[in-house]
Amino acid sequence: QQTIRLTAAAGHPPVFLWVKLIDEYFIPEVDKPLAAGGKHKIEWTKAWGGTLIKIGSESKGISDGVADLGFVSTIFEAPKFPMQNVSYYAPFGTSDIGTVAGVVNDMQTSIPAMGQAWTKNGLVSLAGTALDSYHIWTNFPIKSVDDLKGKKITAPGPAANWIKDTGAVAVAGNLNTYYEDIKSGVSNGVITFATGAWGAKVHEVAPYITKVNFGSQFAGALAMNKSRFDKLPPEVQKVFREVSAEYGKRFAAAQAEAADGLLRKMADAGAKVSELTPAERTRWATTLPPIAKTWAADLQGKGMPGDQVLNGYMNGLKKAGAQPARDWAVK
Amino acid sequence: MEGNPLPDAPEPAAPQDSYRRPMPGGFQRLTQALNALGTLWIVALMVLINTDVLGRDLLGTPVRGVTELVSLSIVGIVFLQLADTLATGRMTRADVLLDRLKRTTPWAADVLQAVFHLAGAGLMAVILWAAWEPLVESIRIQEYVGAVGDFTAPVWPVRLIMLVGISATLITFVLLAWMDVARARSRGRPA
Amino acid sequence: MSAITVASLSLLLMLVLIWAGMHVAVVLGIVSFVGVWLIRGDVSVAANLLATASQDAIASHIFGVVPLFVLTGFLVAIADVGKDAFEVANQLLRRLRGGLGIATVASNAVFAAITGISIASAAVFTRVAVPEMLRFGYNPRFAVGVVAGSSVLGMLIPPSLLMILYGFLANQSVGDLFTAGIVPGLVLALAYAVGIVLMATLWPRSVYVNGEGARAVDAELLPVGTLVMKLLPSVVLIVAVLGGLYAGFFTATEAGAVGAAIALVIVLARRKLNLRSLWSVLTETGHVTVSVSFLIICATIYTRMLAMSGMPQFMVEHMTQMGLGPTGFLIIYVALVIALGMIIDSSSILLIVLPLMLPIAEQFGMNLIWFGVVTVVAVEIGLLTPPFGLSVYVIKSTLQDSRISLGDIFRGTLPFTLMMFAVLLLLIFVPQISLVLLKAPGG
Ligand code: NA
Ligand code: NA
Repeated sequence: QQTIRLTAAAGHPPVFLWVKLIDEYFIPEVDKPLAAGGKHKIEWTKAWGGTLIKIGSESKGISDGVADLGFVSTIFEAPKFPMQNVSYYAPFGTSDIGTVAGVVNDMQTSIPAMGQAWTKNGLVSLAGTALDSYHIWTNFPIKSVDDLKGKKITAPGPAANWIKDTGAVAVAGNLNTYYEDIKSGVSNGVITFATGAWGAKVHEVAPYITKVNFGSQFAGALAMNKSRFDKLPPEVQKVFREVSAEYGKRFAAAQAEAADGLLRKMADAGAKVSELTPAERTRWATTLPPIAKTWAADLQGKGMPGDQVLNGYMNGLKKAGAQPARDWAVK
Repeated sequence: MEGNPLPDAPEPAAPQDSYRRPMPGGFQRLTQALNALGTLWIVALMVLINTDVLGRDLLGTPVRGVTELVSLSIVGIVFLQLADTLATGRMTRADVLLDRLKRTTPWAADVLQAVFHLAGAGLMAVILWAAWEPLVESIRIQEYVGAVGDFTAPVWPVRLIMLVGISATLITFVLLAWMDVARARSRGRPA
Repeated sequence: MSAITVASLSLLLMLVLIWAGMHVAVVLGIVSFVGVWLIRGDVSVAANLLATASQDAIASHIFGVVPLFVLTGFLVAIADVGKDAFEVANQLLRRLRGGLGIATVASNAVFAAITGISIASAAVFTRVAVPEMLRFGYNPRFAVGVVAGSSVLGMLIPPSLLMILYGFLANQSVGDLFTAGIVPGLVLALAYAVGIVLMATLWPRSVYVNGEGARAVDAELLPVGTLVMKLLPSVVLIVAVLGGLYAGFFTATEAGAVGAAIALVIVLARRKLNLRSLWSVLTETGHVTVSVSFLIICATIYTRMLAMSGMPQFMVEHMTQMGLGPTGFLIIYVALVIALGMIIDSSSILLIVLPLMLPIAEQFGMNLIWFGVVTVVAVEIGLLTPPFGLSVYVIKSTLQDSRISLGDIFRGTLPFTLMMFAVLLLLIFVPQISLVLLKAPGG
C-alpha cells in the first residue's frame, strides 16, 4: 500500500459551505474508494481558516506547494483570474446557482485563454463553483437606491462596482472581515450571500437584509497543485475527478436548499428581511455605469478576450432561460 | 516589541556590540534614508486615516481605497525601516546570556553576535531569493488591489520596496557580523 | 523523521536560540524554514512560504494600529501627560496611608489608557514618581516596586500592544480585546491600591523607611483650576480614543490615528516639541513598529510551519484523549506562560505558545477574548519576574542610582507580582470581569 501525504487548505474557515464540504464530504469520499481498492492511502493534513494560506494568496500557496489542494477564491485573485470574475461584472443576472456555475465552467473549456488561467498559475481546477444570490445586509433600512447615499458598504472584490454612482463608497473586505468591519464602523453594511452571511453572523451587526437579488456569482474552484496532481497514480486522479464533480453539485444543491431557510433563521434572530421592489431593482441595475464594458475593454487592452467572455456569459445566461435585468454586453 | 523610551541613555565606554555605529562604507546613511522615507509614510498614513474619519463622520464623504492603501502601506513602511531598526539594535532579542558574556568573556559575546548576525543574513537571503519571482509576476500581470472599474492601486511598488528593504537588511546583517568579528580580533584572544 | 518530531524539536531549538540572544524574529524564521524544508522535503517550498508570509502576513488595514498607537504613546510621554496625572493624583490622595504609592498606581492607570507599552509607563514613572516617594520618606524598594507593578497596567488597560499582537495571532477583534481589558485593568489597579493600604497599615516599614511617611505641606497644593488643566489632555485623549472605539465611531486603527493627531496637538500646544525631537519621536515609532511587525511576519511563518506539520491537530487530539478538562488545560497553560515569562520576553511567549494553544482553547469552546485577557495578564507577570523582567530592567536603567540594585527592585516588586497573580486567578474563574463591557451582538 502506498501512502500519499496531502495537505488541504483554505483561507476561509469551515463554517462556510465550500470549506465544510471539502472537510466533511470531499476528503472522506476520496478516502472510501481508495480504502476499498487497498492500493493507495492518503494521509491528510488539514489547515482551514487561513492558518496556512490566506484569502487572496490561495492560488500562490497551492502552486508553491505550501498546500497541495484547497479552495481558490478567484474573486479575491482577480489579477490572476480576471476572466473567471465575469459574473461579478455582470450582476443582476440570475439567482440560479447551477446556471451560473454551468455557464462559466463551459466557458473555461470553450475559451482556451480562460481555462489556461489555472494551468498558468500551476493549478488544476477540479470543481468550479458559484455562490447563492447576493443581497445587501445593512445597519440602516433600504427602500430605494437613494438610501445608499453617503454610506460605506463593504463589498468583496469586483462587487465594489455594484454600488457605483449610487452615492455609496465601497470598502474592500471578505467574509472573515465583514462582521468586524460593520461593528467597528468601517462600513455600514455589506453585499454578500445568504449562506456566507449566516456563517459570518453578519445579520447580528447589519440586521436590515434587503433582498436585491444581484444574482448568483462564480467565486472560485476546488483546485490542486498541478505537478502534484499529475504525479498522482491514474486511478487516484480518477477518484479525485469524480468526487470533485460530485462536490461541485452538492455544494450548489446545499446552498440552494439552505439559502432561503437561513434568511428565515436570520429573521427569527431579529433581522428585518425585505425584498427590493422590481422597479427599484431595475433602477439600481440601470444606475450603474457600464461596468462590464469597462472591464472587458480593460481585459482586451491586456490582450485577453474580454468581449468574448462577456458576450459568452450573457448569451449563456439567456440560453439557460435567465432574464438579466440589464444586458451588460450592450451597455 | 518594546522600544527604548530612553534615546539618550548613556553608552558604555568600550563598545560591546555593533549597533548605532557607523558601518563600513557609511552604509548607515542608506539605512537612515530608507528609514526616513518610512517615517514620512507613517505621517502620511496618519493624515490619510484622519481624513477618512473626518470625511465619513462629519462630511458624509468617506474616502475610497483607504483600507487597501493602509494595508499596502504597512508592508512598505516595515520593509523600508527594517534595516535601520536592525542597525540601531532595536530588533527584539533576549540579553540574558549575551550580557553575561559581555562582562565575563567579551570576545565570546562578539563571536556569538557575529554568528547570529550571519544567521539573520541567511534568512534575508532566502526571502530575497524567493521574493524575486513574485515581483516579476506582479509587474507582468499588472497586479492590483481594489477592483477594476472602481478603485485600483498597483501592487508592484510595494513588492519592489520589500525587495529593496530586504536587500538593505541583508547587507546590514553582514556588516554587523563584520564589525563583531573586527571587535573580537581587536580584543585579542585570551590565552 | 515525522512531522510531529520536527515540530517538537524545532520548539526546543527555538527556546535555546532565543535565550542565547539570537533575534527572536530570525529564530522563528530560520527554525520554520528548516522545519518546512524537512516536512516537505523541498527547499523551494520553504523559501516560498517565507516570501509569501513577508508579503501577506501584515498586509491588512487593521495593522495600521501599531505605528499609530506607538506614536501616540511617545507623544504623550513627551507632553508630560504622565507627570501631570501623577501630580493630580498625588494631591487628591495625599491624606491616605501609602498615598503616593496609590497615586502612582492611579496615574499609571490613566497613563495606561493612552499608551500601549508597559515599559513606557515604567520609564516615565521611574522619573516622575520615584523621586517624590523618596523625598517623602518612602522605602526605596517599595517606590520602585510600585512603579514596576503598576507599569503592567500599560498593556492591560487599552490600548495595548500585547493585545494587538494577541488579536493578530488569535484572529480576534482588537477593539473587543481593548474593551475587555478595561475592567480587569481597573480591578488590578484597585487590588494594588488596597494592597498598598494594607501594607502601609500592617507592615509600615515595608512602605516607609521609618515606618511613617512625611506629612505633605498644604502650602504646596495646586489650585483646582491648575489640577483641571493638568488632567484635561488625558481626559480628552481617553474620551476621544476609547470613547470613539467603544461607541463604534471608528476602528482600532482609526482610534490610533485620531489619538496620534490629538496627542500631536497637545504636544505642540504645550511647546514640548521642536522639529528635531519630533523627528526622533517619529523614527522611534518606526523602529518599534518594525520590530513588532517583523515579529508578526516571522510568527506567521512559524504558525504556517506548525499548520503544515499537523502539530496543533495532534495536540488537540491528545489533550482530548488525556481527558484534560478546560480547567486543567488552563492551569497547565498559565503555568507554562509564567514559567516562560521568567526567561523570555512577552511577545516571544505569545508568538511561540499561542499557535499551539489556541486550537486547544477553541476546541474547549473557550471565549477567545477572555482567553486573551488571561493570556496577557499571565504574560505580563513575566515583566516582573527574575531573572529576565523587562519592566524591572527599564526601571534600573532609568533610575541610574547605584544604591538601588536590580535585586532590590525585584524584591520590592514581589508583593505586586503576588497581587497580580491573585487577580489572574480571579480573572480565570470569573470570566465576566473581562466580558462585562462587551456589547451583545446586534446591540
Ligand atoms: Na494601555
Ligand atoms: Na520575567
